[in-house]
Amino acid sequence: MFGFVVRRLLSSFVVILLASFVVFIIFYLGPSNPAEPVCQAAGGRCTDERREAIEKNMGLDKPVLEAYATFMKGVVAGREVTVGSTAYPCDAPCLGISYATGLPVYEELKKRIVPTVLIAIMGSLVYLVLGVVIGVFAAARRGTMGDRMLVSGSLIVSSVPYYLVCLLAWIYLTQQTSIFPATGYFPITENPFTTIKGLFLPALVLGIATAPTYARFTRGQMVETLGDDYIRTAKAKGLNGRGVMMKHALRAAIVPIVTIFGLDFGALLGGTIFTEFIFDIDGMGRWGLFALRSPLDLPVITATVLVGAFFIVFSNLIVDLVYGFLDPRVRLG
Amino acid sequence: MTTPMGTEVLDGFEEEPEKPRGKKAKELTGRSPTRIAFERLRKDKVAIVCAFFLLLLVLIALFAPVITKAFGVYKDLDDPNAPTPSEMTAGDGYPLFGPPFEPFTWDHPLGIEPQTGYDNLALLVYGLRTSLEVAFLATLVATIVGVSLGLVAGYAQGWVDSVLSFIIDFFLSFPFVLGALALAPIMVSRFGGSSESLSKAQFFALIGVLVFFGWMGLARLIRGQVLSLREREFIQAARVIGVPTRAILFKELLPNLVAPIVVAVSLALPGFVAAEAGLSFLGIGLSEGTSLGKTINSARNYYDSYPLYLFVPVATVMILVVALNLLGDSVRDAFDPKTRR
Repeated sequence: MFGFVVRRLLSSFVVILLASFVVFIIFYLGPSNPAEPVCQAAGGRCTDERREAIEKNMGLDKPVLEAYATFMKGVVAGREVTVGSTAYPCDAPCLGISYATGLPVYEELKKRIVPTVLIAIMGSLVYLVLGVVIGVFAAARRGTMGDRMLVSGSLIVSSVPYYLVCLLAWIYLTQQTSIFPATGYFPITENPFTTIKGLFLPALVLGIATAPTYARFTRGQMVETLGDDYIRTAKAKGLNGRGVMMKHALRAAIVPIVTIFGLDFGALLGGTIFTEFIFDIDGMGRWGLFALRSPLDLPVITATVLVGAFFIVFSNLIVDLVYGFLDPRVRLG
Repeated sequence: MTTPMGTEVLDGFEEEPEKPRGKKAKELTGRSPTRIAFERLRKDKVAIVCAFFLLLLVLIALFAPVITKAFGVYKDLDDPNAPTPSEMTAGDGYPLFGPPFEPFTWDHPLGIEPQTGYDNLALLVYGLRTSLEVAFLATLVATIVGVSLGLVAGYAQGWVDSVLSFIIDFFLSFPFVLGALALAPIMVSRFGGSSESLSKAQFFALIGVLVFFGWMGLARLIRGQVLSLREREFIQAARVIGVPTRAILFKELLPNLVAPIVVAVSLALPGFVAAEAGLSFLGIGLSEGTSLGKTINSARNYYDSYPLYLFVPVATVMILVVALNLLGDSVRDAFDPKTRR
């Protein structure tokens, strides 16, 4: 077990490191000239000399590996970043300085990650509970009219692109009627109640749009488990139906559901971008999207991609570790 | 070909025991798993309805130039005959003809886009065209990449498999939307000199991004299939009699992977259509040229004053993606030997 955890931790670390390197290379070599946006952001005319000076400041004249080493050193120990003609102090973990605001990316990230995480947690709670409950009900009444309606209904709902559901919800539930309070992010430090209120509808939409997928998956797992011998044994020895359903069948069926849930949750943390964009919530996804506007804010985009990748790898790791506890049959070598 | 189909072959026997021997044998060899699946699909009502809608949309996209010509509308205002924006829109940006303020006119059946003065019908048919072009090309390339890497990884084993599997897992750890967001401006700043080359660059960048994040699932699936197929007798036999590896991969293994590939493709297509429209909706797909997602984004705030402008592209994307998804689901059921019917 200990060996497995260590190996898994190490490989996750390697993946993150490699991902950061790839992302860094993409932004270092990718654009025709990374100095260009900085030069334009500084205002005034962008002459060749100025561009060259900026390139030198940004370390673009150095080889890739050296620049990457500087970047990573900044993440671990902090460094001083020069953007344009000004030098900014950037404490560890330094992800660079935003070209648009001149503030350390990490500070801005800290603020924006809160709404994203909140939406992800609230939304995924909704779809996990709703999906599992519907799935268990459908499996218990397998083959009946209700089951068939649930299955085909959930298939259709999950076929509709998520952003269209989101857009229609935004139009009908916040703009044309006032059933739901205005959406948006209000800092949680000031009034947690308003924060929850502002994020309630986005999370609900996310949950309801994703729930059918979970309902179908849960139903499939439950139907499979309910066919097992030990369920028949439990019923034969006279346990009541609900006890068999919850304690015996769901306990076994929940393992793959948790696996999928963990992976989805990680992906969600890196990208509730459509929700944030449509409902106008100042979260990480929207921040990254708006960094594309002129001037192109490369450090911000790098940071969002890296954080997103980190969440996915991290959730993979957690799922792998939790798996062994949830399913006693799994032997971790 | 030694296709493992077992019980399915026997169906032919039971259905038509009366027929003469020669014909019966022909019937037996003719029913491949793929054909059985297509026969099942033909009986599936949902699949037929979806296929009909899709055919309609594909035809509209294919004949986009004919349709726009028939209605006398123009795709872009660069056309020398096309009217200028000021001829089409009033000072407040709303169109001078057709909805929402003027009565319906056959000159512009779906109205005119506010501000720009483009015709909505032209935007729709050409947007549909873009969607389908991008989705088909992305699916094609992603399938080729996914299948070849999956085949190689599954068959090679050893370090080649380890490296390829690591690459697959590595790609899976990139967040898709954020990745697309990051790659889009880079591609554009690299290749976008003039407006002409910019729209081409964006088109291929978009397909590139979709392929970049879309091939891993299929590669994984194919690898898993190959891992079990390669231990089968017919593969071992082929190896023993010295069939070259390439022939084993493409002549022996690939035909046995048709079902999972067809299923994966039919489920990938709606994903790519939705992704293309979604990225354009966020403004990171095609900023030049027409796209349904782009129209939805610019129409977003007209939900009240000019609903037609917003809801026609929304409904089109919805019908297209839902029909593709339901059809994909039917295809999966048809190819799944475990489905009871």
